[in-house]
Amino acid sequence: MKSFIAFFSSVKLAIVLLIIITIASILGTLIPQHRSTAEYAARYGQLSTLLIRLEISKLYQAWWFISLLFLFSLNIVICTLTRLSPKLKRALAPSLEKEKKKLLSLKITANFSKNKDLETTAERIQKELELKRYKVKENRHENNIFLLGRKRMLGLFGSDIVHFGLLIIILGGIVSGLGGFRTDLTFNEGQTIPVPQADFKLRLDKFETEFYPNGAVRDWKSTLSVIEDGTKLFEKTIEVNHPLSYKGFVFYQSGYGYNWENPTLHLRIKKDTDPSYSMQVKMKVGETVKLEDENMDITAMRFVPDFIIGENNRVATRSMNPNNPAVLIGGHREGEAVFSAWAFAKYPDFGQMHSSQDHDLKFEFEDFEAAQYSGIQAARDPGVNFVWVGCGFLMFGLCIAFFWPPREIKLVLEESNGKTNIAAGGIATKNREDFQAEFENMIQSLRRSK
Amino acid sequence: MTESTLFLITFILYILAAFFYFAYLFSRKETLAGIGYKFAIVGLIMHSVALVLRTIESGHAPFTNMYESLSFLAWSAVMAYVIIEGKFKIRKAGPYFMLIVIGLMALASSPLMPKEATPLIPALQSYWLWLHVSVTLIGEAFFAIGFITSILYLVADSREKNRGTGKPGLTSEQFDAVSYKCIAVGFPLFTLGGLVFGMVWAYNAWGRYWSWDPKETWSLITWFVFALYLHTRIVMGWKGRRSAFIAVLGFLAALFTYFGVNYLLSGLHSYA
Repeated sequence: MKSFIAFFSSVKLAIVLLIIITIASILGTLIPQHRSTAEYAARYGQLSTLLIRLEISKLYQAWWFISLLFLFSLNIVICTLTRLSPKLKRALAPSLEKEKKKLLSLKITANFSKNKDLETTAERIQKELELKRYKVKENRHENNIFLLGRKRMLGLFGSDIVHFGLLIIILGGIVSGLGGFRTDLTFNEGQTIPVPQADFKLRLDKFETEFYPNGAVRDWKSTLSVIEDGTKLFEKTIEVNHPLSYKGFVFYQSGYGYNWENPTLHLRIKKDTDPSYSMQVKMKVGETVKLEDENMDITAMRFVPDFIIGENNRVATRSMNPNNPAVLIGGHREGEAVFSAWAFAKYPDFGQMHSSQDHDLKFEFEDFEAAQYSGIQAARDPGVNFVWVGCGFLMFGLCIAFFWPPREIKLVLEESNGKTNIAAGGIATKNREDFQAEFENMIQSLRRSK
Repeated sequence: MTESTLFLITFILYILAAFFYFAYLFSRKETLAGIGYKFAIVGLIMHSVALVLRTIESGHAPFTNMYESLSFLAWSAVMAYVIIEGKFKIRKAGPYFMLIVIGLMALASSPLMPKEATPLIPALQSYWLWLHVSVTLIGEAFFAIGFITSILYLVADSREKNRGTGKPGLTSEQFDAVSYKCIAVGFPLFTLGGLVFGMVWAYNAWGRYWSWDPKETWSLITWFVFALYLHTRIVMGWKGRRSAFIAVLGFLAALFTYFGVNYLLSGLHSYA
């Protein structure tokens, strides 16, 4: 047990672990994470099996990386604790220096005498220290007075508070990892979805996309109602950066998309032979309109949002985004197919390939209307509050570690032949230059005073 | 006056500041360094006005694309330098530091950086944009001064070993101390802006405070390197060469977090 503590209380170990964790973290940014086995094989060939076996493909969740973090945390705990008790003793039960020689071996010292008696001098010094906001302790022994002036002793514990904060953050990370839950929900307007692992439901009342004048998206807004036991409790409009929180769950606006199940298509029909002819029709897939003058039934047979010729020369859609919307239009005369042709919203001159002698119709796919769905991420993260508390300690600790340096001045006063000899020593582990200036300033003022 | 004119005037003032600092370096006339310092201050004021104008024109924080963020970084760097030089008289760092600032300004004004203010994408519409980016970049500006003074330390140290002290200016030991002070200011700022504010914003916008996104990971790596600097220095008593070396590494990591990640690695922070 002793050797265990000795091993983990070493700062050298902390530094070695820090270096290893840093190098591992760098590796994780150079090798893409969470990709498919095939992608690793294509990228790294033979090496890919090794990468996957060593879990470098999911490095930050790998057992060995987590173990390193665990060892590092243990190291922080033991390093901090073993150094804490001498500091606590120094802060809470300070010893008043009784040996002049020891005092004068400090780095910041002064040694002088005043033509005053012991009591007056001690009082004068105490006043000077208190003027500079030092808290003074006094001890008497025979014809000596020992003084101890201290300030900002909390600064001693800056690093301990930082370490404590870090441990709470790591704890929060563990809680998030084990108890966290997140899932993506897609809502159509009006749809109600029970939230997984929760006892309430959400309904999307309204979803809208706002645009800037240049067409770029300004914001997505989803108005959500929280429904519990069949009754609506309240509603809130969420947008990116402004989620909804309820019962430990947080709901984020995470995406949007088109619902392609039943789009309305805007088509314009023209004739090659008659430039003045122009007719607009709005239809859904499967619907038919009759062109009386041509004795023709026009049917919207199929719609794809992102047209592509896929495998076996079959039409497919590359994505669910309207990158290349296309509609397949069929023409029938008395039940017999006359033609079928694709019309493309983005390429109006394309797709007249099937024109035939039997008709001179041209179709332009002008626009479409499709309902948009709202992508909402539901997350429950019980670790997050630990992280914020830890961050608070971390920042507080850093501030006092760097900007609240503790200072101690010890003095031994002894009377001889009506004079008082004063030996003073100062202790500051940080900002020693500033402290030295303050120390010398005080000594000067004491020497000059009458 | 428009923002771009003010930016140009600022650029010229910084170049003049660098010119006088270099003149000081070669002639060793203290007054020249003083003139350089004054040009840097006037430049800083012009730059501040330019940033305010940019904010009014675009209606959002002046660091949402590479041009804006470079300009803001240059502003933070000059501001940090003006403070540190005012306090510690590190004039010798002036010429090199202004060279870095000019480099940033030149990069910002290069044709590769689109300058028009674009409307903010939804993820960036948050007051955390102000807090996260400005505090992080100001922290990095202090790391930059730590970097220059560390290099000056290394140079001064090897010269003192060869010829002994005797030249005017700061001794290597003083450079070492200034370098530590810059990191002592930069580290809490970087922790607050880069890591803490970053986590809070990520939680508000993306629903998770940490995703191991390359930019996040590289911020953490930068933080680790400076943590290493502080621990080796305070606990193990490293000073001088080894300390300066880690400070240089830390700044390079910060630089990579700022630039490299955007161009070489892909992730969530694809805007700036």
